[in-house]
Amino acid sequence: MENKILKKDQIGKLYNELVGEYKFYAPKNHKGNISFEQIEKPEDILLDYLNSKIPPKSVLFPKMEVLFEYTLDDKDVEITDRQDLDEKTLIFGIRPCDAYSFELFANFFSSHGNVKDEIYLKKKENTTLIGIGCNTPRTTCFCTSVNGNPFKKDDMDLFLTDLGDSYLVEGISDKGKSLIERLSWLSNAKEADLKKSEELAKKAEEAIVTKIDAKGAVKILETSFEHPIWDEISEACVGCGTCAYLCPTCTCFDVIDETDQYNKRGRRIRIWDTCQSCLYTKETSGHNPRNTKIQRCRNRIMHKFSYYPKNYDLLGCVGCGRCVYLCPVNNDLRVILNKINKIEKKEEKKAVV
Amino acid sequence: MRPEVKKKMTETVLEEKKLDEKWEPKIIAFLCNWCSYAGADLAGVSRIQYPPNIRIVRVPCSGRINPYFIIKSLTDGWDGVLISGCHPGDCHYISGNLVARRRFAILNELLEFFGIEPGRVNFMWASAAEGERFANLVKKTTKIVKEIGPNTKFQKEW
Amino acid sequence: MGIDTENQEIENSIREIAKKLLSENQVDVIIGYAEGTIPLSSTPIFIRKEEDVNKLIWNNLCYINLANYLVPLMPQLCDSEGNALKIGIVAKGCVGRAVNHLAVEKQVDLEKVKMIGIRCNGIVNRSKINLEIGEKEILEVSISGNDIIVKGKDWEKKFPYDQYINDLCKVCKVKSPSASNETCVGECEEIESIHDEFADVIDFESKSSEEKWNYIKEALEPCTLCYSCRQACPLCYCNLCFVDQNLPVWFGKTAELPDIIVFHLIRAFHLAGRCVACGACSSVCPVGIDLNMITRKLEKIVKDRYDFTSGLNAETLPPMMDFKMEDTEEFMLEED
Repeated sequence: MENKILKKDQIGKLYNELVGEYKFYAPKNHKGNISFEQIEKPEDILLDYLNSKIPPKSVLFPKMEVLFEYTLDDKDVEITDRQDLDEKTLIFGIRPCDAYSFELFANFFSSHGNVKDEIYLKKKENTTLIGIGCNTPRTTCFCTSVNGNPFKKDDMDLFLTDLGDSYLVEGISDKGKSLIERLSWLSNAKEADLKKSEELAKKAEEAIVTKIDAKGAVKILETSFEHPIWDEISEACVGCGTCAYLCPTCTCFDVIDETDQYNKRGRRIRIWDTCQSCLYTKETSGHNPRNTKIQRCRNRIMHKFSYYPKNYDLLGCVGCGRCVYLCPVNNDLRVILNKINKIEKKEEKKAVV
Repeated sequence: MRPEVKKKMTETVLEEKKLDEKWEPKIIAFLCNWCSYAGADLAGVSRIQYPPNIRIVRVPCSGRINPYFIIKSLTDGWDGVLISGCHPGDCHYISGNLVARRRFAILNELLEFFGIEPGRVNFMWASAAEGERFANLVKKTTKIVKEIGPNTKFQKEW
Repeated sequence: MGIDTENQEIENSIREIAKKLLSENQVDVIIGYAEGTIPLSSTPIFIRKEEDVNKLIWNNLCYINLANYLVPLMPQLCDSEGNALKIGIVAKGCVGRAVNHLAVEKQVDLEKVKMIGIRCNGIVNRSKINLEIGEKEILEVSISGNDIIVKGKDWEKKFPYDQYINDLCKVCKVKSPSASNETCVGECEEIESIHDEFADVIDFESKSSEEKWNYIKEALEPCTLCYSCRQACPLCYCNLCFVDQNLPVWFGKTAELPDIIVFHLIRAFHLAGRCVACGACSSVCPVGIDLNMITRKLEKIVKDRYDFTSGLNAETLPPMMDFKMEDTEEFMLEED
């Protein structure tokens, strides 16, 4: 099908046409923090941004989510399940790294034994992703080192390229292509537009300055569980969990119950949790297998770069760089991976002498 | 769909409360066993009338009061909190009320700083022989909390 | 003297003292700051060898309170038998205060700690600068004279230093550690007490309850309860924090407003008479919340009521560990 052009001043028209049917999420600036929020008026949509601070996982896997509510009537308990899972959602302005993270989410929420997370999977089924390629990646981005690309289109439904005052619109999936057919007022793209988008894609890939040997790290980590380097890597960490909370691929959650005893009702909620919290692995007996910061820091790196590739043949990192520029003690993941890559070489040297 | 502003159950209930002329505040009272609880008992035995708005929780000493009790009462929806202990120097456990007094001082200042209306959380001393004093101070507390209005700040919307 | 020249002097003094302490075996490990890999940051570093002292730096981005690493004691700071090593710590005023206060609470053995005292000249307010720059990527931050120069790919912006440091640094009264010559080498001065008008707090307190609540509500609204502030605070070292308790569950952990307000209110209560006004909590907040007003109020409460300022020495009992018959009780209810 033909590629289309969406002019930037037509975004309002796009919003008004789709908001009746979809819950429209787009990047919004709130006190300097950019996150994907439900948009009330099209002027709130932020188009000129690098990437959101809070990843778009917060749309489908929010910080706090009600699983079900219940009311008590004498001895009977009545449970009300979620009623809004069939509502359609549209996420506008997502970056290729974050779109790929939804692949890892699908893996987590459906692959473990026979348990499928109905709530997440149903919501994802009813979600359309409209992505925008990264013309100017940050210096902390390293998507190309982890099987990604600033113009990766596979995980989107619609892919937009920022050409200056308009976007080139490409339909990727069937859902995206039928959405384009609906928006019949979009003008057709010209040869020059396609050429410009290819140039931008090439420039963006060359602009990624951080290159890490992720595959090498995966190999070395297979035999480095007890290595003393973890002492050094985890020294500065304070265990705040910012890296996990703001990571687009981290999926850990805690389930808590809240009761309103005066009104005889309650609800079960799931909230974000982090393996960096010292209570994460504490067992009812009181034993805690990950008692020290060293073990917890090691777990995070191993989970992303060793357990995930071993179990699912996927790298658990999308290279968005949020953990790099948001860590309060600047415990840089790129520096950590480079240190890990140097391990084998050191030991080889020893063997020679 | 545009994000709706759904009127949640608690909002409606609270609005009704505010407009209701006959609204009576609910005040939770933590009384120390040896002095204030005995003083309340004396007020009852002497048939001294005081408002029925308080619900009493007996604790061994005012020093047992953890600030969590006070904050949890506010988040649970209580309109007022009253804490009463022995007069300084008369504590059954010698210095429990002195420890408590410092806690109350700091907690009171912080509550006021965060915007909780002064007068919602009250502290007093009442001894076992002061039945009338206890009744008077409960009357005063109820009057103050009634004027401030219902506690709407900590309601969760669901 | 320009800020950058001051920084150079401080940096030289740190490296000199560090080298001396390591070579004379007075300490086994030194905790200090190293250059960050991204602009507007610095990273804590643990030096064990003399040749590494040149990694120690001082710039106005050293916002972490290094005393945080002393409690609970990490295995990296213990010897093979589990005994604490001799630790040297690069101490600006608030770090020194934290070390002193931890000693009062018997969490740190001052015989095993040496403070490398420096006279701090302020910490840059990262969130304020990030807010002004917006969505452009910052590539370089430097100090020249009395200006902060922020550079991007093809743009540059200047900020006057005195206006863009943390609000707590603007009113700081303890710029270098208050300790004796045995615990502190370098810049230290034994301070008996501080004098502070607290004009900013008095101004806030003159607002009505409704205005205060709205101000606090608006300031804390972006909070996601990630607990980074608690983790970065040197005085939040409880094994089981009150929010994590589940026998009983006192307060919720959802990111709704009542839970957020209650967390900050109770954490402030737990820090009364213990907070050292280092500002690390505001600097590490991932959504840029500024908790300085609460910190200032905590300082004012204990100074006005009990004439106490935390961390000026390692002997005076803090107000919550003590009581007196004559304590003020003007807030008590009395009969009419």
